[in-house]
Amino acid sequence: MKVSALTHQELASRLRHAGLFLQTGPYVIHVQTVLPGVAENIALLYADYSLIESCAFADFHVSLALPRTVRRWFKPQVLFLFDGDPAFKPLPRDQAFAMLEWGLNWCVSSHVNDHLIIHAAVVEKNGQAIILPAPPGSGKSTLCAALVNRGWRLLSDELALIRTSDGRITPLPRPVSLKNQSIAIMQRFAPDARFSQPVHDTQKGTVAHMQAPTDSIARAQEPARPARIIFPKYQPDAATQFNAVSKSRAFMRVADNAFNYSLLGVLGFETTANLIDACLCHDFTYSDLDAAVATFDTLSSSHV
Amino acid sequence: MTEAASRLTWRITAPLHFRVWEGEYIVYHTLSGDTHLLGPAAACLLLKLQQAPADTAGLCNALAQQLNVLMDEAFILQTGDLLADLASLLLIVRH
Repeated sequence: MKVSALTHQELASRLRHAGLFLQTGPYVIHVQTVLPGVAENIALLYADYSLIESCAFADFHVSLALPRTVRRWFKPQVLFLFDGDPAFKPLPRDQAFAMLEWGLNWCVSSHVNDHLIIHAAVVEKNGQAIILPAPPGSGKSTLCAALVNRGWRLLSDELALIRTSDGRITPLPRPVSLKNQSIAIMQRFAPDARFSQPVHDTQKGTVAHMQAPTDSIARAQEPARPARIIFPKYQPDAATQFNAVSKSRAFMRVADNAFNYSLLGVLGFETTANLIDACLCHDFTYSDLDAAVATFDTLSSSHV
Repeated sequence: MTEAASRLTWRITAPLHFRVWEGEYIVYHTLSGDTHLLGPAAACLLLKLQQAPADTAGLCNALAQQLNVLMDEAFILQTGDLLADLASLLLIVRH
């Protein structure tokens, strides 16, 4: 059963009481909240996700709660609870859905250790996955959003999950987080895609989320083979350009972008090294999204 | 270098893991969990020390052979500096 099978009333009621058990990639997430705005965004952006009925187990139990302080009468806030305890400082209430998304990323990046987790988007076409590691502001999510609206499969917008057992990438397709100018750019680029209402004045500026493609969600149980690591960089007016990156330097950059490289110890080193062995590595500069997508399409048709 | 110093042996502080691509080495230090990007000369010294402790003279000799260069005074000084650098990274220690 999908989330879309529930009426808005049923969805809100479940979230308010027993909670919703959502299958996102390999993880079951148990979400509870009384906030109607969050329910609306879940209805909008998680419509195609499977509901796990009568679930006895969830990987992560999270809720968005209202702090019961006097502040709620003046500047209402929201808390992200993990296993019933606040995981972060409260945020303004209108940021509740964004906080849920950030909190879910934190759940995975802080608790999953059977994968090397890289701060990176991952897309796939023709059986070849491309990992896009990059710091905030590099245009990673914008490029990822453009690609998945042009036929690429979304494996993740934020967290590349590299299995330590065999080096394959486990998909975790969730809504794509867009910031500031990227929101309007992507709404023009993909007018049929669904977006949450932009929320202003967050710690990342204005934020909105774009739905993951239905096909990517349906294929969330299909791991992918890593073929390339591409470090994207949006640069205004720049031509679309690839530059090879040596594998050793790519290794250091991937390790720098990994959440649990150090924690995994030798396994983190070996997993990263095997990933680098399997991939061609490039820097990629772009400004025009259509040209960037065309370039990636060329890559997907060439054998690695 | 004093005669006493030259007799001291270098050893690695913990087992190391290596990967090499196009002449650049990634070295993982199992004790600290630190990862280093090193050139072939530094990696050669570490690989030698991974096999067995060695003194500076022996390491200079091994490195000169590996790189196929003449072991003159400048080379010995450079190797000494490189060993000091590796020691400052806590990869090796001298006893």
